[in-house]
Amino acid sequence: MPISLLGPYGRSIITAAVIAAMLAFTLSYANEYAHGSLLGFFEWMETTWFGIIGKTWGGVFAIIQAFHLLSMAVLGGTILVSEFRVLGIFLNEISPQTVVQRAHSTFVWALVVVLFTGVFMACGVATKVYYLPVFWYKMLALGAGMLFHFYIRMPLYSNDFSQLNPRVLQMTAIASLLVWFLVAATGRWIGFSG
Amino acid sequence: MSEEIEQSDSGQDGDRLKDQQTAAVIAASSFIIFSVVYWFFQIQSVRELLELAYG
Amino acid sequence: MLNEWVYNIAVWLDDTRWSTMLHESYYMYNWVESTHVLTLMLSLGMLFLIDLRMLGWALPDVPASKMASRLNTPMLIGFTVMFITGILLFYAVPVRSAQSVWFRIKMVLLVACAINAYLFHKRMNESVASWDNEPRAPQRIRQGAILSLVFWCIIVICGRFIAYDWYDCNYGQTAFIEFMAGCVDGQERF
Repeated sequence: MPISLLGPYGRSIITAAVIAAMLAFTLSYANEYAHGSLLGFFEWMETTWFGIIGKTWGGVFAIIQAFHLLSMAVLGGTILVSEFRVLGIFLNEISPQTVVQRAHSTFVWALVVVLFTGVFMACGVATKVYYLPVFWYKMLALGAGMLFHFYIRMPLYSNDFSQLNPRVLQMTAIASLLVWFLVAATGRWIGFSG
Repeated sequence: MSEEIEQSDSGQDGDRLKDQQTAAVIAASSFIIFSVVYWFFQIQSVRELLELAYG
Repeated sequence: MLNEWVYNIAVWLDDTRWSTMLHESYYMYNWVESTHVLTLMLSLGMLFLIDLRMLGWALPDVPASKMASRLNTPMLIGFTVMFITGILLFYAVPVRSAQSVWFRIKMVLLVACAINAYLFHKRMNESVASWDNEPRAPQRIRQGAILSLVFWCIIVICGRFIAYDWYDCNYGQTAFIEFMAGCVDGQERF
């Protein structure tokens, strides 16, 4: 187990290392190199069935886009319900663990649909979104959001809340709201760009 | 013997909790700071463009 | 007659200064539209969780009455924001919106959703005490939840389709589409 090899603060060390790596990647030439090397992949995406269907039938593309929006609504709903409960805004008569754990299974289903419809949409307009900075912001935010959700948030929320520092819980809930809002907002802005 | 195991278990649990909370603080504070900076510059750039357009 | 009346009101709105300003403002229009879309997470996010709870697919061990009553307030705040931004979006492009087949279907379905929501809450309040802790609501309530999910899915699809010009009046449509869209003979504004 890599975490145990890193001592009692393995998760914290990995988290700090991932954030430092993401910062270094965004601020260095590494991202330009990675961007350049991905052009071929994005050109290939447009030649896949998803790409051909998305480019040929505007109606199909729009329906998939609508389901992308609907699944984002469900995903956002589960995040709002869980984090509002953690922040003590509503559903206070139900234990936070119950709300968080139950909302999580719905979140996973919504995320699967978001990713599937998102890949379909990206295939249809692959070479367009490839040149949009906001698309890459969204991908970074989505990656960071998923890592945060599964590696930080869920393990933390699976503990007895009375054993946890309330300030840490509040910070986690606010960060979760912010990161998924960023994913949705940058996603919306892709439509206005290019 | 069993008391020692229990103590070591609770010690491991305490470490695990501390680790999870520290990781959460690192990640959450990074996101919060990033969000504040990101949205500040986004709004600032819109304001500058509007000033260029309308004076 | 009714279509001409709708068209004339839309043209009158289109002639107002604020409509032109909103339509031509890149940032303002996009911000209003983004708010309209992003508020889906608050309005439909809450509504879908209530509906899915009734079907037993989400948060099955949270009492149904608690879910419905606690999530109602943020949901209504979300719908209020969507309603206001929706009116602004209509106001920015009034003639084309008023003559959009998709917009018209969306409005009819919104009324259907409002009636369904009223009946759903009425039925739920009458009987919730007997099934509050059950993972699935009784069949009549579940039917209301499914109707709500289906209607809202079609509303979002219609909302997305408004952006496409397949059935716009200025392209010479079939008689059926012209009737549905409410195209007016000799109209000069589109």
